[in-house]
Amino acid sequence: MSAVLLTQFKISDLSAWTALETGRRLLAPGLALHRVVREDLYLFEPGSGAAPDAFEGPLRHAIESSNFFVNPNKERYRFLTASGRGDSLEAPEGAWGILARTRDDTQDDGLRARLLREHPIEGLGAIRRGHLWWLWTEGPEGGPAVEECYERIGPVTGTRRGLLVNPHAEADLRIEGSVPWQTVERFLAGAAPALRSAA
Amino acid sequence: MARIAILQIPGVNCEYETARVLETVGLEPRIVRSNEPASVLGEFDAYVLPGGFAFQDRIRAGAVAAKLPAVERIAAESERGKPVLGICNGAQVLVEAGLVPGIRSGRVEMALAPNRAPRRQGYLCRWVRIRVEDGPGRKIWCSALPAGEIVPLPMAHGEGRFETADPEVRSSIQRDGLALFRYVDASGQPASRYPDDPNGALFQAAAITNRSGNVLAIMPHPERASWLKQVPLEWPGVWGERRRGSVGSYEALEGSGPGRFLFESLARSLGVVRAAEASR
Repeated sequence: MSAVLLTQFKISDLSAWTALETGRRLLAPGLALHRVVREDLYLFEPGSGAAPDAFEGPLRHAIESSNFFVNPNKERYRFLTASGRGDSLEAPEGAWGILARTRDDTQDDGLRARLLREHPIEGLGAIRRGHLWWLWTEGPEGGPAVEECYERIGPVTGTRRGLLVNPHAEADLRIEGSVPWQTVERFLAGAAPALRSAA
Repeated sequence: MARIAILQIPGVNCEYETARVLETVGLEPRIVRSNEPASVLGEFDAYVLPGGFAFQDRIRAGAVAAKLPAVERIAAESERGKPVLGICNGAQVLVEAGLVPGIRSGRVEMALAPNRAPRRQGYLCRWVRIRVEDGPGRKIWCSALPAGEIVPLPMAHGEGRFETADPEVRSSIQRDGLALFRYVDASGQPASRYPDDPNGALFQAAAITNRSGNVLAIMPHPERASWLKQVPLEWPGVWGERRRGSVGSYEALEGSGPGRFLFESLARSLGVVRAAEASR
């Protein structure tokens, strides 16, 4: 059971904007990409022997009272405690998502060391990172046409196929509706799944 | 005279120094904006995608530029055998466009992943040593390189780790000699640890070619080491000695640096032999 921090720009996110413009050019006729939102996801694991909620108070204080994770002039955030996060990661209304992670270990030891240097927090274990692309798409029938859009702007397979994830460096998990947090935790904490055949 | 297109994508920053060294070896470079009609590119004999930060590296380094019509046109010209050189960010574009290693046409088979080094994250800027290996790229890119030479070059990147998750691609790179340049230590042995191995790349690869050898993606910057004056005074070994020996001599300082061989080799492969040799 891990606490979760999700951050996103509240000013214009030029990476999301670029993804929107580039993604639109890659979609087949009849498919539409209306909006893209990018979120950084941090998973905070309890340290060995520590209670899941042992560090959440001091961590919340660090998030709220410093610029360590969030610059309030340009970013907004959601901090979800292990007990208060609910069962599942929910996609925003009308959106579906791609959660991407590095194929390497997702632990960010450097970030953890810097955090603990500035904000001594007892009981905090690993910090794992991923990032989310939330996509508002539409197919010719009016639905989100997730499969077709994922193939066009999800993992890169060819020159004109894929954009948001390079599967040789990253793995991804599709988020449709809701995905149990346990699945998200397994995806981020385990070894990256083998490359999917894109043939 | 052989004409070389240097593709100027918004965010690149090495196009002018690249043009200068191409001129120096007797080639005729022209900086071509990426939004010019792609058909313009057909007039050139070879192509360079220079270093920088195309589209500010948004989404991922090289990811957006790889989708440009100009890059598609260059891919088509490469299939006709024309040389294509991607330096640093240009290498990232070539990998994201599937030109390198290009084992299965039209497929993206690699990534240039974030550097992996102990206790270091992000952008790294330093001088490294590379050595040429046997492979299909030698003829075009290394004919002017003295045998056995260890080449010092500057690197400057955050995402320079050649990586693939496809075991067949990994095998092919090794079997077919596609890792044309590898990071080595001072004795010329494959780099086994940081800082000789600056980023943890597959096979310590500093550069990878396609199977035909005419497309080269190189992460260090040969254009930033094409004049002796660009070599750091404190650099050890032969090139450092030459550099220290050139102090006070304008003519010597303006002489050839360790990275120039790449452009001289390109010039030779395009038939510009005399000018290239005269520039040494």
